[in-house]
Amino acid sequence: MKFKLRKLSRPITKSIPKKPGKKEEPLDHSLPNNLDELMKRTGNSSDIVVRKLTLNNDAKSRAAIIFVEGIVDNRSIDDFLIHSLINDDDLHRVEAEDEVLEKIAAKVVSLGDVKRINGWDKLFQSLFAGDTIILVDGIAQGLSTYTKGGESRSIEEPPTEISLRGPREGFTESLRTNTALVRRRIKNQDLWVKSITLGEMTNTNVEIMYIDGLARDKVVQEVCDRLNRINIDSILESGYIEELIEDQTATTFPTVQHTERPDSVAGNLLEGRVAIFVDRTPFVLIVPAVFIQFFQSVDDYYSRADIATSIRMLRILIFLISLFAPAVYVAATTFHQEMIPTQLLIVLAAQREAAPFPAVIEAILMELTFEILREAGVRMPKAVGQTISIVGALVIGQAAVQAGIVSPAMVIIVAITAIASFATPSYSIAISARLIRFGMMIAAATFGFYGIILSFIILLVHLCSLRSFGVPYMAPMAPFIASGADDTIVRLPWWGGKERPRLTVDKNSIRQGDNQKPKPPSSRTMK
Amino acid sequence: MENAKINAMQLFVLIFLFELGSALLIPLGTEAKQDAWLAILAGVAGGVFLFYIYLRLYKYYPDILPTEYMQMLLGKIFGKILACIYIVYFLYISARVLRDFGEMLVTFAYEETPLFIVNALLLLTIVYTVHKGIEVIARTGQLLFVVLYFLAVAGFILVIVSGLIEIKNLKPVLENGVMPVVKTFFKETWYIPFGEVVVFIMIFPYINRPKKLKKAGIAAIVLSGINLVITMAINIAVLGVDLTSRSQFPLLNTIQAIQVAEFLERLDVFFMIALIVGGFIKITIYFYAAVTGVSNLFHVKETSKLAYPLGIVVLILSLSIASSYTEHIQEGLMIVSLYMHLPLQVIIPILLLIVAYFKNKKKERSK
Repeated sequence: MKFKLRKLSRPITKSIPKKPGKKEEPLDHSLPNNLDELMKRTGNSSDIVVRKLTLNNDAKSRAAIIFVEGIVDNRSIDDFLIHSLINDDDLHRVEAEDEVLEKIAAKVVSLGDVKRINGWDKLFQSLFAGDTIILVDGIAQGLSTYTKGGESRSIEEPPTEISLRGPREGFTESLRTNTALVRRRIKNQDLWVKSITLGEMTNTNVEIMYIDGLARDKVVQEVCDRLNRINIDSILESGYIEELIEDQTATTFPTVQHTERPDSVAGNLLEGRVAIFVDRTPFVLIVPAVFIQFFQSVDDYYSRADIATSIRMLRILIFLISLFAPAVYVAATTFHQEMIPTQLLIVLAAQREAAPFPAVIEAILMELTFEILREAGVRMPKAVGQTISIVGALVIGQAAVQAGIVSPAMVIIVAITAIASFATPSYSIAISARLIRFGMMIAAATFGFYGIILSFIILLVHLCSLRSFGVPYMAPMAPFIASGADDTIVRLPWWGGKERPRLTVDKNSIRQGDNQKPKPPSSRTMK
Repeated sequence: MENAKINAMQLFVLIFLFELGSALLIPLGTEAKQDAWLAILAGVAGGVFLFYIYLRLYKYYPDILPTEYMQMLLGKIFGKILACIYIVYFLYISARVLRDFGEMLVTFAYEETPLFIVNALLLLTIVYTVHKGIEVIARTGQLLFVVLYFLAVAGFILVIVSGLIEIKNLKPVLENGVMPVVKTFFKETWYIPFGEVVVFIMIFPYINRPKKLKKAGIAAIVLSGINLVITMAINIAVLGVDLTSRSQFPLLNTIQAIQVAEFLERLDVFFMIALIVGGFIKITIYFYAAVTGVSNLFHVKETSKLAYPLGIVVLILSLSIASSYTEHIQEGLMIVSLYMHLPLQVIIPILLLIVAYFKNKKKERSK
């Protein structure tokens, strides 16, 4: 099997030419030739605008500006590029032709970023990134000026990670806006950003952000290495990268965290983690990610420590319920009736009396029904979604019981499980629990509690064997690391933990000064 | 030897779980009647003494496995033979413990399931774990430690709240003098579970800070000993001496006696979790020791791959070592203690230590 896969993968990697080593084709001296070439290469694409103009009323010095409509800021092209190019007087004084570009860059263009370009690849790269290209007749070079713009979504509250307390900003599809949202939170020169372009076809901008001195050098290096290793035709969402940089692929658990919240990214950067931003998606990746992180929500850090701790414990309980509830019900009713208290057993037995299916069939049937309803509800337009929920409520809740197909207790179990699987803050871990739940049910149906406990042990072993960028997945609980344990299931108050988690930070581990615990004034009258 | 390190705390947890593994469930030291807990306490002392011997041996050769230093101490041929004996011992004991647990599960919950299936499932879990290596075993141990302790504390509170404890069952202390306690100590509690720590000589070389080893090991032995003492004392106090010594699983009977508020009753599942977790850890460690031993002795590079074939050996062994449970128990009491535990846990390590002492003294002098 492995051998076959390897054989298959070879031609694919070959068909994508590697960038380095390829010689860049230079621009031509003549402007018409260049424009013809441009049109030829882009297949006369209608969204590429070529505006021909003459510099300073001199018919001889022809020039052209080229941009892609829709991804540029039209106002800045009109006001600061075309207007100043046409009206500037200084240009005709230039004798040597080569100096024209110099002059334009230095004196004429009043835009933020101006770069010289020599070859076609560079030209297309900046053209499609939203820059405007200036070509002048007689010069085999061009200028690219920063005019990125166009429509983009404004900053809104993230729909997937809603918090009761905390900032209402969420990431957008624009990479720059996203990095800026974090930059505004951590105003420090140690916040470093590195850029890389991935995807042979899509040329997607990917940036990694970390705090120098907090993030482990090894982890940063590893992230860079793994990103550089990626050789794929397209990156359309951060999910592509997530799958390509995982430590271990044979698992349902997420070893890379993703978030839509800038405050969550900032908090993670301050714990020494590395964030990976991908252009055109609001989901930012955070590595290394450990198991317990998926049970932490940003709210926890903004609300009181005791409240946050109890809620986190509740979440663990929720996770266990969503994993085990149907399995335990199946095991108890089919194998271990003697373990159910008598009164309860009588009630359950009376219900099961009429049910036509064995408990496990009932459970799988109901769970499947629920999963179908959920999937239908997610994809439905909002107007139709309500119909689904009504039909679902009727089918699951009432009709199935009244028709005697399932027992009412099963409905309760399925409902609790369903709600529990939505109450986990991270969708990616909830969905993995949902998947494992079916395995648990089958284990329970075949071997009762013995099956459940063995599956649980295998699950633990599997979780303990995972790593995320070298960090053990179950840390800081297994292996137990005291300096990180103040923010796991328990969150100590901010004055309680002096150190940053040692899991991700090795130097500069002191977070705050001594004696941060607030005290009442020494005299009660405050005088 | 695989390229892995565990820390002192993980070793502590492993030893602790290993000691509780099966001893928690069986009638331990009941030959001493109501003084069973005293026999266990004596076992703790014996265990610490044995641990000290294993520790001294380890200190002479901190970086290599016993299968290697046995060859250095006794010469290639005799060392290899002894190493083989130890590996077979570990395999045999893992098969024995597997049989124990399989029989327990069959008698108490799965009357109609064949022993083979029950054993195979547990062994599958264990093979998967051993395949992942010592680091993962240690981490899993840390999580299971929390699970087990949570159960233990909950069970302890429930037993007290149910008002089941009758101290008079534990009296009179030392009714027939010290002799029954001493006898039980030499016949049983010294080896099971405390002498069984001998298997950890295969794991000591993985520890990252050898200085902390002594503290961690002794703490684990003492703490697990105390836990066993408490459990056994509670068993006797709840059930009485007679029932405890006749019962197959006194802890199960104690847990079944719990009745709080007409709701918290029949907590057999508590016992079941403790049983499976304990058995899992115990067999895993024995089996891991055997696997590393084989890979080291026969120079197999990929240790983890050995888990599968040896797993089948253990599975078949667990079914074929005895034709019935009674025979199995009888073998355990009559043969294993005297002819396997005593020499391999006590006598040979002491002899090895003496040889190591003189060999290293010679080396120092020649320097």
